[in-house]
Amino acid sequence: MSLYQVNKLLRDINLSAELAQRCRTAPEAVLPQYALTPEEQEAIKSWQVRKLYDMGANPFLLLVYSMATGKDMRAYVKAMNQLS
Amino acid sequence: MAEIVVGIATSHVPFMAAPRRAEVDEGQHARVIAGLGEARKLLEQARPDAIVIFSTDHFDRCFYDNLPPFLVGIGEEAEGPVTNLSGMPKVKLKIASALGRFIVSEGLDNGVDFALSQDLPLDHAEVVPLSFLTPGWEIPIVPIVVNAFAPPMPSLKRCWQVGGFVRETVERWPEKKRVAVIGTGGLSHWVGPPETGRINGEFDRWFLQCLVEGKAAEVIEKYKKAEDLEKIAGNGGQEVRDWLAVAAAMPAALKPRVLAYEPIAQWVTGTGVMAWV
Repeated sequence: MSLYQVNKLLRDINLSAELAQRCRTAPEAVLPQYALTPEEQEAIKSWQVRKLYDMGANPFLLLVYSMATGKDMRAYVKAMNQLS
Repeated sequence: MAEIVVGIATSHVPFMAAPRRAEVDEGQHARVIAGLGEARKLLEQARPDAIVIFSTDHFDRCFYDNLPPFLVGIGEEAEGPVTNLSGMPKVKLKIASALGRFIVSEGLDNGVDFALSQDLPLDHAEVVPLSFLTPGWEIPIVPIVVNAFAPPMPSLKRCWQVGGFVRETVERWPEKKRVAVIGTGGLSHWVGPPETGRINGEFDRWFLQCLVEGKAAEVIEKYKKAEDLEKIAGNGGQEVRDWLAVAAAMPAALKPRVLAYEPIAQWVTGTGVMAWV
């Protein structure tokens, strides 16, 4: 399990608008900088927040990372309630 | 010796400090802002020289690489908020560093192992409430960041003990100073999990009533496990730790009363203000 790395990425994105922008436009350049499993990489790339939550990612970080990457609250709540 | 002259507990939801959005009920908004205004008046009447503020973090100062249960800021100044959720400009505040250092050293000598920081930035958990309570930013603070955001967290009982320890320590601080204690956070809110947006007004009102009636022990007994509190008050509801710490820090002469409580759906937070005077 590398959830530490997932949470770290989510946190870094929340603290850096520049990283948030790069994660939106070129995730393939950002994600290899974190020790993520292929499943985690895919879940982040395709914004599967419910899956990340079920895997154990921190929910507060999932929300703020989503906001930082341009998602709105309505879309977030909908995605979080779609079972992975 | 120093004395504790007033206590305040309040939510710190960033929306509070932003202009009212049209969809937020005008009456609810007005009652919360009035409660904060009354709290400010009580604080000013108490004329504190310093403020001890129990607050929490939002992963912008602490993370899983270094996660203290209780972290005291003892630098000379602190600036924030680190992340700008409320559109607030950054502010710089003086730290009451002599009091902060006294609390840390007394703690380490007496079984409360505080972590310390000489360069602790501020979070919206301090800046939003203080923008209402001390808008001149003139009173130095001692920030005590309680881990109420990243499991595993200190128990409610421990937060109560630490609040009590802060009271004893302030009261033996050999300076003739007047000290306020503020706690920020809560009340019930779910931020991020599937229940995001839920508020439990029933829990919030019960919790406030427990504090008013001096029955914090009931809360502590009922929610020994953070998971149980999370089910009923959400992950954001874990911040009631800061309210319990303030309640425990109050001398018997200061009596509690609720100044405002509104479950504000658009703020996704049960929003409360309380004072001990």
